[in-house]
Amino acid sequence: MINYDLIYPGNPDQYLDDLCERVSQGMDEGLLPVEVFRDDAVFRAEMERIFTRNWIFVAHTSEIPEKGDYVLRRIGIDKVIVTRDDDDQINVLLNHCRHRGSELCHQDKGNTRHFKCPYHGWVYRNNGDWAGAPHLKDAYGGPLDKKEWSLLRAAKVEAIHGFVFASLSEDVPPLREYLGGAAWMFDALFGLHPDGMKVLKEPERFVVKADWKSGAENFSGDAYHVSTAHLSASLSEFIPGVNQVSSLASGYDFGNGNSFIGHALPELIAPMFDLWGYPPEYRDQFDLSQLDEVQLEMLKKVPPTIGTVFPNFSFLRFPQPDVPGAMPIPFTSIRMWQPVAPGVMELWNYELEYAFLPESFHDKAYMAGQFGFGSGGIFEQDDTAVWEGIAKVAASPWALSKGMRLHYQQKRGGPDPDWKGPGEFHPSIYGEYSQERFWRRWVKEMTEGKRASKHAEPCDDQGGCQ
Amino acid sequence: MKKIHELHEHAADFLAREALMLDERRFRDWFALLDDEIDYDVPIRIAMRNYAEEFPPGAFRIKDCKAHIQTRIARLESDHAWAEVPPSRTLRVVGSVMVDATERADVIEVVSAMILYRQRGHDDPGDVIPVRRHDLLRVSEDGFRLLKRKALITHAVLQTPNLGVFL
Ligand code: FES
Ligand SMILES: [Fe+2]
Repeated sequence: MINYDLIYPGNPDQYLDDLCERVSQGMDEGLLPVEVFRDDAVFRAEMERIFTRNWIFVAHTSEIPEKGDYVLRRIGIDKVIVTRDDDDQINVLLNHCRHRGSELCHQDKGNTRHFKCPYHGWVYRNNGDWAGAPHLKDAYGGPLDKKEWSLLRAAKVEAIHGFVFASLSEDVPPLREYLGGAAWMFDALFGLHPDGMKVLKEPERFVVKADWKSGAENFSGDAYHVSTAHLSASLSEFIPGVNQVSSLASGYDFGNGNSFIGHALPELIAPMFDLWGYPPEYRDQFDLSQLDEVQLEMLKKVPPTIGTVFPNFSFLRFPQPDVPGAMPIPFTSIRMWQPVAPGVMELWNYELEYAFLPESFHDKAYMAGQFGFGSGGIFEQDDTAVWEGIAKVAASPWALSKGMRLHYQQKRGGPDPDWKGPGEFHPSIYGEYSQERFWRRWVKEMTEGKRASKHAEPCDDQGGCQ
Repeated sequence: MKKIHELHEHAADFLAREALMLDERRFRDWFALLDDEIDYDVPIRIAMRNYAEEFPPGAFRIKDCKAHIQTRIARLESDHAWAEVPPSRTLRVVGSVMVDATERADVIEVVSAMILYRQRGHDDPGDVIPVRRHDLLRVSEDGFRLLKRKALITHAVLQTPNLGVFL
């Protein structure tokens, strides 16, 4: 199918400047130009201006527990190897040989001390350092500089509660500072036990013909869609009250494209569903001493259930039966909206759980999460279908020629003036304020990133290419 | 128990009829073919050099018991299961059927290959979902019942946006 973009007078650079301006002005009016969801120039700019210069989630430390462990991941459209090296440090490396560029790593995961290139046989250590080449003396007269010819390495790698983020740009604040209020949320979500969370199984991956931003934006604050898009969950009697889910939802907005939805679960389901409904015998083992009073109150009344960290990391923790008719238990799913092409993403979904919980609970939580939000999940299936339409209208000659803009004008109740936590707490999720912030952040990165990418230096020395 | 070659013929016939039933979206008829103990498993696959490592133990896209499948069918019948509105038009081609006896006198193992062609929506090109099935069929007086299905999808990265269809 044609990836239709409007013929624009001027070069792509001007087009993007103009589009950013239109998105920015549009947000002042609560309107969004449709073309952001599928456009070649937009996609190319996102790769340069967002994915190569922000902290991007790549893996969880529990996926690479031993020295030598690695997993193959993505940053934007690049394949990267996330390794735990012989010195126990985590590295994020571009999966391409420095000699002629062949791919080095050919498995989704494994354990190795070295990566050997299949083309001419250059060898790299698991920290990315150049380590050797065949016929060294005849071909090169001696070893090459191991740092100068190391694999390209992410400039910064940091973890928060085991969630490993990488930045290809040196020019980012430390992860916690960068995450801001979202880090405070991570503490309340993932920091409740000293043993931390662990990934239960490998991520599952599926291609969805929708733009990565549709998923990110949805998880940033769209509880509104649930009563329509997911009505079948209620009609099938799996979750009878699903159409009430958006009325008892609130928003935690940190103003930078990082935002969370909270649900008044004790009100929505039953009093014991504070703390997401973790069974009493397990929550007794949580260590909540690190949390402040606002966090404690939040977990009791309106625990965060869904959220997005800009650009493409989202999570979901919601009580759901593992088998129809069973008592709902919380599951924790991490989702990544991986850009593949304009209007196409790979959806990565995986389930995590607190490591200290017994295997029997892990199994149930995994079941609950996959039945709801896997590629066959009875909720997520319908999201993949409705998001496809957005990518189609974004390439509609009619819509583009008329400058069609989408509606972001829900009535806003405003933030709670007595909120003591970071960012804003909005008692009602209606208002699309988090989505607006998502788009403003997008404009900010697309604008600031333009200046940054103009100054890219040729990569001729360090593995980091800073 | 009948001779294995007779069972082979019957099993192949069962799979062909089952495929037609699913293509014609007669989900309740299909449901009646499921044993109460049905274990319907769609494992996650990853790219590995050793075949044995391609299916990480316990990792699945779907692992349904009968109650899960009942919910899926009720969902499809609700007319609000948007992933399947309009329902995919499908063709399941089943072949390479192999039948073996198991330790249980009333259960046979049936391995087959199945190509599922799925056209979603209105005019989009269809998706192809290639699957190797490892089934257990229970042999009863009134025919076979599907006791276990392990559907190994060929893709590591699934090339259809959801598993709104039965494999
Ligand atoms: S491309 Fe890797 S050794 Fe030549
Ligand atoms: Fe949804």
